[in-house]
Amino acid sequence: MSIRLESVDVRVGETHALRDVSLELDARTVAVIGENGSGKSTFARLIGGLVPRTGGRVDVLGLDPGARSATADLRKRVALVFSNPDAQIIMPTVKEDVAFSLRADRLPSAVVATRVEDALARFGLTDLADRPSHDLSGGQKQLLALCGAFVRDPELVVADEPTAYLDARNARLITGHLLADTGHRLVLVTHDLELAQRCETAVLFADGKVASTGDPAKVVADYEAVLSC
Amino acid sequence: MLSLYRPGSGWLNRVPAGPKMLLFIAGALGISLLPSQWWAGGVALGAAVLAYAAADLRDGALGLQVFAAQVWAVRWVILVTAVAQLIFVGLEPAFANTCRITAAIVFAGLLMLTTRVTHLLDALERGLRPFARVGLRPDRVALMLTVTLSTVTVLGRLARDIRDAQRARGARSSLRAFAVPFLVAALKHADDLGDALNARGVR
Repeated sequence: MSIRLESVDVRVGETHALRDVSLELDARTVAVIGENGSGKSTFARLIGGLVPRTGGRVDVLGLDPGARSATADLRKRVALVFSNPDAQIIMPTVKEDVAFSLRADRLPSAVVATRVEDALARFGLTDLADRPSHDLSGGQKQLLALCGAFVRDPELVVADEPTAYLDARNARLITGHLLADTGHRLVLVTHDLELAQRCETAVLFADGKVASTGDPAKVVADYEAVLSC
Repeated sequence: MLSLYRPGSGWLNRVPAGPKMLLFIAGALGISLLPSQWWAGGVALGAAVLAYAAADLRDGALGLQVFAAQVWAVRWVILVTAVAQLIFVGLEPAFANTCRITAAIVFAGLLMLTTRVTHLLDALERGLRPFARVGLRPDRVALMLTVTLSTVTVLGRLARDIRDAQRARGARSSLRAFAVPFLVAALKHADDLGDALNARGVR
């Protein structure tokens, strides 16, 4: 089982963001849908190790994201992509930003250079390698964020509304990369119900609880029913 | 915002980051030790122009086009410095001090123009390593400086967005109306950046 939650509670300040959530997810691609404030992003941040749980048990790829001892391993195996690409770009040029993802691994510089070049080529960023990262368009920035995540060869990619700020063409490009079967698992938080149905399984969050899970078409239909009330 | 790395094969681009950083620190220190007199302002600016000319930047104007762009990028810093100095210390020291500050900034700009930040980061980490014995984390210090550099650009964009939003709503220029949303946006960015650093393996 790649992701397992047992009776998980998460409180963020006064907000009870997740309440008694139990889930078992083993599909390669998982869509997470729900209204704003329903707990989707908290779930993504929880399995990415950015938010601590206040109760229950969490297992991601056999690791406990809340345990300090698991942090280094979690960072190697789980990559996160957020909606705002500006906040994900650290280094001033495209190539350096991608290389930054490998910095913690202390790899030989020749290995880093090869992996960075491969990743840039894979995401069509080779021609932009020396461009200032913050001067890129929104779509290019999100591609760069994705490239920075994938250069680590993660087993699991957690993407929190990665196409929120993008036009249709760039959104399609980004989702194409995310959904492509390149050996990684994907947890995709999205408001795009068509996109959710392209995943193997889906989870619907409502008021911090799991309202529905399973076949994406069924989960989306459940969500549509809630929306029409 | 000063321009960042400019790919090239000039001799200054090829000098290793560590010695180059030391050279520029020495240059900036030399400029800061000049007296507050007319000639010192000229010497400081002259040294900066010469450094750009000698840097082999290949802009078709002996580095002067790049130099002018760098000075233009910090025009507000120059203006504020000059006005404040004029008010408090008089014409000659104001001229000399403004020239010295401008020269020091564009000197730093030349270092950034000819050195990849990754190489600066590595050099800084190596240089700070001896201080690890007294509890300093060289990797953290180097990273902090890098993140600061990249954040300046983002904050500039946030400020522009907030000003545009205010204009779109017909608001007049007001420090408070600008400062509050800017602070909120900057803090939100800091939160997001923290998450992004964490997500990319920075502990």
